[in-house]
Amino acid sequence: MADAIFHIDADETGRKRVVLTGRWSLRAANNDFGALQHQLASLFSDPFLQWDLSKLEQLDSAAAAMLLTGWSGKVDARIALKPEHAALFNVLTALPAKDSKAARQEALPRWWQALWASWLDFTQHLLDFLALSGSLTLELLHLFRHPRDIPWKEITANMVKGGVMALPVTALVGAMIGIAMSYLMALQLRKFGADIFIINILGLSITRELGPILMSVLVAGRSGSAMTAQIGVMRVTEEIDALTTMGVSQVLRLVLPKVLGLTLVAPMLLFWTALWALIGGMVVAYFQLGIGFEFFIEHLPRVLKPANLTIALIKGVVFGLLVALIACHFGLRVKPNTESLSASTTASVVTAITVVILVDAFFAIATRSIGI
Amino acid sequence: MSVQSSPAHRRPRKRDAAVCEIRHVSTKFGSTVIHKNLSLTIKPGEVMALVGGSGSGKTTLLRHIVGLTQPSSGEILLFGESLNNASREERQRLHNRFGVLFQQGALFSALTVFDNIAFPLRELKQFDENTIHTLVMHKLSLVELEPQHAWLLPAQLSGGMVKRVGLARALALETELLVLDEPTAGLDPDRSEKFVKLIKNLRQQLGLTVIFVTHDLDTLASLADRVAVLADQRIVACCPIADLGKVDHPFVRNFFEGVHKRLEQLESGKQS
Repeated sequence: MADAIFHIDADETGRKRVVLTGRWSLRAANNDFGALQHQLASLFSDPFLQWDLSKLEQLDSAAAAMLLTGWSGKVDARIALKPEHAALFNVLTALPAKDSKAARQEALPRWWQALWASWLDFTQHLLDFLALSGSLTLELLHLFRHPRDIPWKEITANMVKGGVMALPVTALVGAMIGIAMSYLMALQLRKFGADIFIINILGLSITRELGPILMSVLVAGRSGSAMTAQIGVMRVTEEIDALTTMGVSQVLRLVLPKVLGLTLVAPMLLFWTALWALIGGMVVAYFQLGIGFEFFIEHLPRVLKPANLTIALIKGVVFGLLVALIACHFGLRVKPNTESLSASTTASVVTAITVVILVDAFFAIATRSIGI
Repeated sequence: MSVQSSPAHRRPRKRDAAVCEIRHVSTKFGSTVIHKNLSLTIKPGEVMALVGGSGSGKTTLLRHIVGLTQPSSGEILLFGESLNNASREERQRLHNRFGVLFQQGALFSALTVFDNIAFPLRELKQFDENTIHTLVMHKLSLVELEPQHAWLLPAQLSGGMVKRVGLARALALETELLVLDEPTAGLDPDRSEKFVKLIKNLRQQLGLTVIFVTHDLDTLASLADRVAVLADQRIVACCPIADLGKVDHPFVRNFFEGVHKRLEQLESGKQS
């Protein structure tokens, strides 16, 4: 049984009226104003109906606001009120109406406006990225002249976090990809009796393409997102401002160790990933095609020229640099709210992976005649 | 402003029921004992202050009361019911009857001020957007903020405004019990005085019961009806602020000297 009750009767002059009684308040336990509003909907729309609120025990602002909405924001002579409730209604009717909000909501932008906005956004990103790279270069020059300022501890900490801690997962993923590739290739190659070429295919594709891409995707997901989130939270909690007021350069202390650390550790991680992918492939080649481990290891250097390793090394350095730079770029753009933090972290990982794959395509074209 | 029926009139069935009853509560973190057999009752309509030295367990007790943590033993009753033993619906209803103002405001940073205040109203699923708009504007005017502040994000607000918005959100559901954690911490004296005045006004208008933790003697002297002093893992004194002088406990004696001066200032201020 609800505490807010109403019934319909006729007053002295025979006019129909609605009488509200009981406790019209959120504090009363059993009220459901949604249901009440639904029941009253037909009565609200009758403009000649009398309303009697003078027998109400209790009326709070929530119930009053609900009634006021029903009366379309006007309290007139057909509504009988207690003086204290009249005061409450006076307060509520004096509040700014809802269309002040509607006016604020701008009309949806046309498609070309949206396009122009995203173009501006994109150029802004590019400019900021350029500025970040520039200040990073300046800091590097500064470090050349003042080697005492090199943040060794932070750089090595980032190498441990981004590299050493990533060893198990990259090994696992690398081995699994090697196994999957090798199975697929083994079936095809056996049809042509070209079993031995599995070593060429695995060696080339893993060191040149799969290894770098795998490593970058894993590092972007693992370390890139962590970097963005860390710098972002530091912005939210004003820690970056605290660093600046202490005269500590945020680029030198936050961005540079991350970028240098990841750039140094990424090539090593790449070779580690590629190694495990080759081991996975080698095991499958033994079981599927009967190629012995010794033969595999002996034959591999003959088909995999050293130039491929150089390409892989350069790729590792470039991809590590890109992932870390992009992560820091997005971290520094986080605005102090949770929504922006999550959006920036997502954007950081997606952009890093996209950019890495784009750059990898350029590499593939530029190095198409080298080492094959 | 809105004149409503008196608090005593409001809940005729449970007129004498305590708003919050802490019964023999003990709390341990590992081997550290925070509370030992602590009991405290808060009556409807009163403003109770929790004071005590740093690390005396004031905030922990506050977190117990609002159900964020649970004591190792003993129980806490809100409006005669325990949050832990209630069914889901009952617990939700109990949660709607009290509002909490956190020390840093704890506003949802991704939502505007309007959406922050509207959040509990929308969760209730009883009101349409027009009604919610009226109610949010009403709550904003209650905490003396301007309508245009509704469209700001929490990051754009000053410290005092964050507290006001937090208060408006805590009051959105016509709460009966208001729990404040350091309501004036981080505000300058002028703003903190205004904020205390605001809470006093609201308490009279809305018939609120208030529990608050504070370190600020001015806030304590001007707001509290009764003061509960936490020391030695228990409540060593629970009395009106003027009676603290009669309590014989080193912390209270030390503390009271400071309070005494403020009270005298307050008295002379009233007379002039």
